[in-house]
Amino acid sequence: MVSKLSHLQVELLGALLESGLTKETLIKALSEVEPHGLQSESQRAINALQTEKGEPCPDIPNLHNGMGESRLSEDETSDDGEEFTPPIMKELENLSPEEAAHQKAVVERLLQEDPWRVAKMVKSYLQQHNIPQREVVDTTGLNQSHLSQHLNKGTPMKTQKRAALYTWYVRKQREVAQQFTHAGQGILTEESMGDDLPTKKGRRNRFKWGPASQQILFQAYERQKNPSKEEREALVEECNRAECIQRGVSPSQAQGLGSNLVTEVRVYNWFANRRKEEAFRHKLAMDTFSGPQPTSAPPLAPHNSSSLQPPAALSPTKVHGVRYNQQPASEAESSSSNPHGNSSMVTTQTILHQVSPPGLEPSQNLLTTDTKLVSATGGTLPPVSTLTALHSLEQSPHTLSQQTQNLIMASLPGVMAIGAGETPSLAPAFTNTGASTLVIGLASTQPQSVPVINSMGSSLTTLQPVQFSQQLHPSYQQPLMQQVQSHINQSPFMATMAQIQNSHALYGPKSEVAQYTHTGLLPQTMVITDTANLSALTNLTPTKQAFTPDSESHTESGMHTPVSQAPTIHLQNQDTTIQHLQPGPRLTSSPAVSSSSLVLYQSSDSANSHSQLLPSTHNVIETFISTQMASSTQ
Amino acid sequence: AGKAHRLSTEEREQLLPNLRAVGWNELEGRDAIFKEFHFKDFNRAFGFMTRVALQAEKLDHHPEWFNVYNKVHITLSTHECGGLSERDINLASFIEQVAASLS
Repeated sequence: MVSKLSHLQVELLGALLESGLTKETLIKALSEVEPHGLQSESQRAINALQTEKGEPCPDIPNLHNGMGESRLSEDETSDDGEEFTPPIMKELENLSPEEAAHQKAVVERLLQEDPWRVAKMVKSYLQQHNIPQREVVDTTGLNQSHLSQHLNKGTPMKTQKRAALYTWYVRKQREVAQQFTHAGQGILTEESMGDDLPTKKGRRNRFKWGPASQQILFQAYERQKNPSKEEREALVEECNRAECIQRGVSPSQAQGLGSNLVTEVRVYNWFANRRKEEAFRHKLAMDTFSGPQPTSAPPLAPHNSSSLQPPAALSPTKVHGVRYNQQPASEAESSSSNPHGNSSMVTTQTILHQVSPPGLEPSQNLLTTDTKLVSATGGTLPPVSTLTALHSLEQSPHTLSQQTQNLIMASLPGVMAIGAGETPSLAPAFTNTGASTLVIGLASTQPQSVPVINSMGSSLTTLQPVQFSQQLHPSYQQPLMQQVQSHINQSPFMATMAQIQNSHALYGPKSEVAQYTHTGLLPQTMVITDTANLSALTNLTPTKQAFTPDSESHTESGMHTPVSQAPTIHLQNQDTTIQHLQPGPRLTSSPAVSSSSLVLYQSSDSANSHSQLLPSTHNVIETFISTQMASSTQ
Repeated sequence: AGKAHRLSTEEREQLLPNLRAVGWNELEGRDAIFKEFHFKDFNRAFGFMTRVALQAEKLDHHPEWFNVYNKVHITLSTHECGGLSERDINLASFIEQVAASLS
């Protein structure tokens, strides 16, 4: 190109370009100014230049404030270096077709990337700038639920929709960059309207506190709960500075925060709200007997805990739950007879605990139950955050819990299914909580807790997670173990109750069977299988008696599980805590199985069951169970 | 455009030494600064002038200059205040930059 120009032309051209003229503008000017005849030539030149432009795509992900548009300035014509005059025309380029092409190129690249990675990028951008999802939804037309799931969980999104999202993302970055550079240079981008994309009818986005600001405010709150206007103003400055820094922008450009700009009024309101919150918590503490509830609120409140904060959420409930567990456990250990119910309860708790989590419908009930329970216990409804915490608790061990749940569920329905004839026998078993063998006795003997449980109606609290090592994937074991330990609390227990009632919903492929078997055994034995569960149980360490043989496991789930499963089920730590069930009217403690050991609780005919359990070599749990049922049925 | 008020003595003492160091001289009988530039050839010289011209337009402050082939004589003064002002200093700095890049 340069070769065809005279030296002077080159010089002049170089001068022009250095003065801030961009290729775009030059080309456009050429097409406008050119006399008729030369237009074809200039057009060709223009086209050539434009295509050439398409390449230098900056790293899309690194659109620092959207100003990364490279284009322009790469003019090799003049050998003089670049100059001082920064391309003033740069902003105007945004309107040019090149900008649009550039954006499209960026979007294309994003579409080819791993959607989840890009989703994480977009999500973190939203968090960084405190942009409400609503804004994205309004401008992209995407469904908010779908968008949320895509960004948070990676739910797949079709390419076209993702393109809309990425387009918004690219444009927003540019727009935000302009805001922060107070681009008062008359930028006429299609969208930017000063603060943010034209929200419907000019409605501004709702202000939201950023984490950086909140941290500052909380620290100030600790120092003084009632700051004066001067102090508030100082906080305003500090917060805005922090927010700018969080966004990677110079604090002097705080106006770019737009709707999330911190003002004295907002600070004033924030303090007022915190004072009110504290007063409320104080009131709760005064009202309730037990300590934990009120205390649970403070840590949770500030977090606005969503279900995504299990750790924090767990602590208060955990305390609660632990206490809950400990009593029965100790009792169980001490006595041999009475603890039957206790142990079962404990066990159940543990199991329940595991069960409660995840996303099964029953969990919904669980939550409700838990709530009730808590309130029942405490007398006052804990702040929402507490409830949220409970809810989150239930969400941890999902898979495993499912199984456990299923097992638990196996209760009533299972019972029916398993032993046709047993139904009647079961009934008494059910009702006969503590006394009967059913460890399930939870409902009956449980002291504290669970008034709610009783209300649940089903004495089939046998919710001991009957899990067969085979059925459960080994991978579950570990997480479950950990989870169990941490989740010991009321909720799982309640959850179990709820689950029992919703057994149908919970039936899983495998556990279903287990449930049935379990049910069948209810009157007689409780089989706890699988490492995870066992470990949980172990923690409780009630006096347990468990059968070691593999057959035991069969008992529980074997009912409906294919014969093949029977052998798989095995007690891993047979030696350890498992003790053979001892004949006796009641089973006392929950199995002290360390892991993967099946524990069979035998209510009545322990002797019977025992003998029968052991030889369950025939792997016909059904047989065994039926036998059990028969024997126990009375 | 920059300020058009005449530079005070203190300001001169502060700003002019730098320019003097690179070859700008104060004229006698006139409150202005002057410098001669030499380039390799006319093209370079005119390229230089083009750049300066574009900037001058931007700053709305124009030099008095003379050009013969590869030489350019530039005199800077501000008409509004009848002497040196900040605008002259700014343009002089710019000119220096351009000249440096072209040399």
